[in-house]
Amino acid sequence: MNKTWIVAAETYLRQVKSWSFVILVLSPFLLLGISLGVGYMSASSSSGQQQVAVISEQPTLRKQFIKQNSDDVNGKVQTIAAAKKQIANNKLAGYLVLSTDRQRVTAVYHSDDTISSSLKTQVSAFLAKTQQTINVQNAKLSAKQLTALSQQPTFKQKIAKQAGGSNIAKIVSFWIIVVMIYMILITYSSVTAQEIASEKGTKIMEIIFSSTTAAKYFYGKIIGVVMVIFTQILVYLVGGIAFFEAAMQFDKLKRLIDQNQSLVQAVITNLLNVNLLFAFLGVVIYTIIAAFSGALVAKAEDAAKAAQPVTYLSMLAFFVAIPFEGNSDALVAKILSYIPFFSSYFMPLRVINGNASGLEISLSIIVLIVTIGLLMGYISRIYEGLILQTDDTSFYQRFKRGLRYQQ
Amino acid sequence: MLEIQHLHKQFGSVVALDDISFNVPAGQITGLIGQNGSGKSTTFHSILNFLKYDGTIRWQGKPVVESVFDEIGYLPEERSLMPKLTVEQQIIYLARLKNKSAKEIRPQIDHWLAKFAVKGKKTDQIKSLSKGNQQKVQLIVTLIHHPKLIILDEPFSGLDPVNADLLETAILEAKQQGAAIIFSSHNMANVESVCDRLVMLRTGELVLNGTISEVRNQFGKSEIYVTTPWSEQRLAGLPHVTQVTHIRDQRYVLRLDDPSAGPAIFQQLTDGKYIEEFSQQPPTLDEIFRLKAGIEHE
Repeated sequence: MNKTWIVAAETYLRQVKSWSFVILVLSPFLLLGISLGVGYMSASSSSGQQQVAVISEQPTLRKQFIKQNSDDVNGKVQTIAAAKKQIANNKLAGYLVLSTDRQRVTAVYHSDDTISSSLKTQVSAFLAKTQQTINVQNAKLSAKQLTALSQQPTFKQKIAKQAGGSNIAKIVSFWIIVVMIYMILITYSSVTAQEIASEKGTKIMEIIFSSTTAAKYFYGKIIGVVMVIFTQILVYLVGGIAFFEAAMQFDKLKRLIDQNQSLVQAVITNLLNVNLLFAFLGVVIYTIIAAFSGALVAKAEDAAKAAQPVTYLSMLAFFVAIPFEGNSDALVAKILSYIPFFSSYFMPLRVINGNASGLEISLSIIVLIVTIGLLMGYISRIYEGLILQTDDTSFYQRFKRGLRYQQ
Repeated sequence: MLEIQHLHKQFGSVVALDDISFNVPAGQITGLIGQNGSGKSTTFHSILNFLKYDGTIRWQGKPVVESVFDEIGYLPEERSLMPKLTVEQQIIYLARLKNKSAKEIRPQIDHWLAKFAVKGKKTDQIKSLSKGNQQKVQLIVTLIHHPKLIILDEPFSGLDPVNADLLETAILEAKQQGAAIIFSSHNMANVESVCDRLVMLRTGELVLNGTISEVRNQFGKSEIYVTTPWSEQRLAGLPHVTQVTHIRDQRYVLRLDDPSAGPAIFQQLTDGKYIEEFSQQPPTLDEIFRLKAGIEHE
């Protein structure tokens, strides 16, 4: 096996087998799972508590209410005594006493707590409807009068095609992409920088450099880290699909997704196109710079500080990108969509908004790939000089000496 | 054979190595001695291409480039391994970087751990081992791929006599297998007992180079070890004796300014009678080291 791949495999396995990686990868799923689980548990445990009993001397009235609000009513409880007992046992939220005389319908809610706003709305609607029926009966109206009185006002929305949902899709896609790139960058910049910095000036590096060239070692390290990132993205994709499938099993979520079918489709399309390539290449170029930054620390003990320059750079690109979310055809956004380190945020932004041509996208990708190639080549040449020097000189001096590859 | 010719290295205005030339023949052990800062590690780093230098360094007639890395076993001065790996993982990883397969190395690990009496299992993490045992694992890593050029920077430092003997045995074994071995040391006893050849550096200059006996004989047989009832004062009065050192009881070392005075001193001391000890020798390596290192301060 080529020595580059031996280093890559070692770097990959060491990272993937670490607890920090497992926690990093699983934490979003755990959080989602926990929040869904807690939501489900509280929903199911409180479903009894949220229900009310309906008591009425008029069975028809009671039946009508229960029919219209079956989710919120415990139909088994029929007497005030039984209802009080259930409330005492925390199995009912309260009970509603319905009554009518010839003129008016009345509802009295008995509980330790105020009525929930949704139930209040439902009760009011029911009362209004029942009252109207009584009123109509009492008024003894003719059919014509009845029709005239039941006229309702009309309110309609006319929305131009492709606005609305599509704009929301753009905003959602933008935030998912930008935050995803930013999070992966921040995580792996620091992982890479610290990994490399912790090797700085150690004698194990002398043993390794007496076995393979610094360039091969550097390539191996970068490939290893990129494979780790790939694994994480893959786990997220597979996990995301599994989660989506699982979500479809829940009626409420399914209804929500079905209602927003076009939005979900648009967001997924925006994520799984050339933007994914920009995200990936962006992470690669930041990883290379993070490795360089790690190699520039004074000594292994400074590993924690190693990622700072890269973190600042990615923060800069992230915060500069945000104001252009709704203004991606501005000149600044266009220029930055070609500049490596910024293009991974800005070109996806333009792609989402549909104002980048195929040629422009290709050009930006080519610039990014060429820059990655040049950086890899250059850093791999000076890497040995950077890693083996341990003198406590200034950052600038180390940088200069690293560039000259002189010990 | 490793050939080093006119090696010159400068750090800024400081000359670290000045026109150094010597050879490390195959099947022999070369000791590289010198005080701290004399240029020993810089010499090793030059051989391993860790830094740019002027001059020529060749192994088997070719420059030391990646294609010969697999033939090199290098033990750096300070010990350093990857603390989170297990002993087995560490040995296999570094052996694979020397183009050995895990399949080939794995069955040998137990043998090497036993050979160096490493206390710990191969499944133990490196960081759980004592410093001495980590040092032994590092030695295993240096030697397990049977290198033809072995470079050891201060291999004996920190080893107790028992472990120093284990290392000495391993070095002699590698020599018998035909490896060219160079190691640096401050311990002249180790150098004298193991080495065939000796190179001494002083502030970047080569001051000694040759076989052990060549080096010692350069200084002439200027010391006489003698066991005699004579007093120290009487011994000091002998011709050409510049210094008398009392070792213990009736045993002394006499230093001569002219080795040819030996027979006359023998005559005077023995006066035709039996004497327990009279041995005229060149100075020990330890003395030569002090002598050569001392010149610097004059």
